[in-house]
Amino acid sequence: MSDWKIQTAGDHIKGSFFCMASPCELLIDTTDPLVASHLTEQAAAEAFRIEQKFSRYRNDNIVFAINQAQGKSIAIDNETFQLLTFANSCFEISEGMFDITSGVLRRAWKFDGSDNVPNPETINQLLAFIGWDRVKFDQQKIKMPAGFEIDLGGIGKEYAVDCVAKLCTTLAPALSILVNFGGDIQVTQKRKEGKYWLVGIEMPAQDTSQTKNHDTKYNTVMVKIARGGLATSGDANRYLLHNGVRYSHVLNPQLGKPIMDGPRSVTIASDHCVQAGLMATLALLQGKQAEQFLIQQEVSYWCYW
Amino acid sequence: MQLSKSKKITALLATATCTLLNAGAQAQETKSENDWQFDTAILYYGETDRVSLLEGVISATKDFGDQRVLNTKLVIDTLTGASATGAVSQPYAQTFSRPSGDGQYTTSPNELPLDDTFKDTRVQLSANWTQPIYKDTRVNLGGNISREYDYLSVGTSVSAESDFYNKNTTALFGLSYQFDSIDPVGGRPIGLSTMVVNNGQFGAGDAGDAGDAGEDAFEAAFDQTRITDTDDKSTVDALFGLTQVINRRMLVQLNYSYSTSSGYLNDPYKLLSLVNTNGETQSVLHENRPDSRAKHSVFAQTKYAFDNAVADVSYRFATDDWEITSHTIDSKLRYNLSESDYIQPHFRYYQQSEADFYRPYLDNTDALPIFASADYRLGEMTAITVGLKYGHKMNNGHEWGVRAEYYQQDPKNAGFENIGVLASQDLYPSVKAFILQFSYSF
Amino acid sequence: MNIIKIQTSNKYTKKLISVFFIITAMQLGGCANLGVQPWERDLLAKDEMALNADAIDIGLDEHIYFSKEGTSGGRSFAGGGCGCN
Repeated sequence: MSDWKIQTAGDHIKGSFFCMASPCELLIDTTDPLVASHLTEQAAAEAFRIEQKFSRYRNDNIVFAINQAQGKSIAIDNETFQLLTFANSCFEISEGMFDITSGVLRRAWKFDGSDNVPNPETINQLLAFIGWDRVKFDQQKIKMPAGFEIDLGGIGKEYAVDCVAKLCTTLAPALSILVNFGGDIQVTQKRKEGKYWLVGIEMPAQDTSQTKNHDTKYNTVMVKIARGGLATSGDANRYLLHNGVRYSHVLNPQLGKPIMDGPRSVTIASDHCVQAGLMATLALLQGKQAEQFLIQQEVSYWCYW
Repeated sequence: MQLSKSKKITALLATATCTLLNAGAQAQETKSENDWQFDTAILYYGETDRVSLLEGVISATKDFGDQRVLNTKLVIDTLTGASATGAVSQPYAQTFSRPSGDGQYTTSPNELPLDDTFKDTRVQLSANWTQPIYKDTRVNLGGNISREYDYLSVGTSVSAESDFYNKNTTALFGLSYQFDSIDPVGGRPIGLSTMVVNNGQFGAGDAGDAGDAGEDAFEAAFDQTRITDTDDKSTVDALFGLTQVINRRMLVQLNYSYSTSSGYLNDPYKLLSLVNTNGETQSVLHENRPDSRAKHSVFAQTKYAFDNAVADVSYRFATDDWEITSHTIDSKLRYNLSESDYIQPHFRYYQQSEADFYRPYLDNTDALPIFASADYRLGEMTAITVGLKYGHKMNNGHEWGVRAEYYQQDPKNAGFENIGVLASQDLYPSVKAFILQFSYSF
Repeated sequence: MNIIKIQTSNKYTKKLISVFFIITAMQLGGCANLGVQPWERDLLAKDEMALNADAIDIGLDEHIYFSKEGTSGGRSFAGGGCGCN
């Protein structure tokens, strides 16, 4: 389960493992393999802990219990409460556009590159099970209407990155460590001697000439990071093609339909990975106005259409 | 989400993020505070028809960071049962006084004399502190105290180790001093004095009658062979060690140690039979060993990592001025069955030659030697141990293990003649023991 | 946030990899004797490869052999500490 390895890469050591369906790595500013092993092992354990606790693909965790409650109230621990509080803040900030109950729409929309656009009736039936404002929760418990489901997938990986970064800071307060879970990144602190971390991030190729070709080409972009967090939100290869129209997997929870004409991918740099990830998602939800939104927010961003 | 209002989003999101991550940090801290590592074990050692031992260990280790580590350990054991006294078996029954002088025990014909009065509880506490003192050099300070009802031992040790060549080589030098104080039941017997046994020669009346004249005379004679104050022994050890990483899979350790003890080195409960030319016991003497001993030993160990296993093989050569020379080979193979389970077969072979003053018995036609002991542990012998351990790591990170071993000692005749009736006695009986251990770490 | 996009191709990565291999090869060639480089300690770093792995078992065994055999110690301090021999 906690399968990890370390490998020296010049002046630092890279620890790696696979979790949350992503390659996960730590770049550790040390050449001591014992330190690196210890950090990677602890980091992997923390990542697996979070995956087990909040993944919606398991049937033995709190998310499963909440989703199976059928209207009953379910006891929650403090960590779950904090995540729900964060999701609630995001719902309020986005005026209902970011909604962790909107995952049920996936039953109608299957973003597998095919052309299965669901009919409006199916969508209308599902809309009855969406609406975070109808969920009640406090520090001890959560109560959702029957048929509701939550999906923390939109914040889980970024949250895990920040938790692991936090853990690394506790374990090795003097070291700079870059935590990278499939492109969602957090650096604990600046490296020694003014060095930067260098990481490759997959981003869609900006290839506007071939509008008919919807297969996204990816390039590895090398980025230098000194501190802070970085997160990318995009449709990767998850979209629908129907009558030559590309339907993004980013859905408007109020309409039950994909956001149209938005960017394919948005990468944001911020103090924390969670913050960057949410900002990227909020930008995607803006559709056509994504870039305008990002400019207004005065954040560092890369936007790919 | 109106664009006009959205300027506040960055700030709102930052606040929400801080709330989320700081709450998480608190949960982490409480988790990492409890970083004492506990290793516990309980062991049963049982010899067929002889002693059995129950021993419990609790070891607690705390890493304070920067290679500063504290280890404390508590060991409690109780020993019960019968132990070979060193006296030879005879074709007739033999009567011995108990070590306390209080009462007697009788051994049947052709049966090895065993003293069945052993019941002892030992409590041992030790502590070790390791910390770096200079770049790549660590120092280790230790102290221990051990108490049983007739024995007190206190000791201290200091060692320093340094890493060289990218930590591929580690050199260690250490010294330890141990002071033991012995106060045996019934006092210390005078070396090679004759055990006083009340066979009625002290006058009429048996031991049951209080104030009996015969009993008083026995006690007076018994006390003649005893010294009542405590005695002690001190031991100084020096240890030189070298550890070398050979390659990615292999490392070796080489130790040389020198140990010198002086003071009371006898076992106050051990006896020797003084026999006539027909091998018949005339009297029983208390053993007497030299009052100093110097040992040299060389210990070599290697560990090799296979993909799913770790082999651990060690060899020890030891020799001392009592002329006991021994060879020990110890090997373990830890085989990982899965990520969380392993089995570990264990094999150990031990062989020693006898001490120069070892005598299975004394011949009353010869002059009495200055030093003599019939303790089979100082005689020639071989011993083997075979064992198997199973270990399992649980999901919560705790680990348990169970270990079963068989240990057999085969004392050998180092060229002594079995005169007269002794020819029909088994002077070198084997000792067979089973060991069962359960351990738990959390 | 001090993040600078450098290049939109993976040539740079390839270059880095080749540089890394050259350095590694040089170090391997120049150091043919005993020992390992820090990043080769993955196996040695395992708990079961520690010389004092099974310390509790060894402590218990040494107590048994100390009280049953003529020789003790060698692995660490022999000491005294027991009236059993």
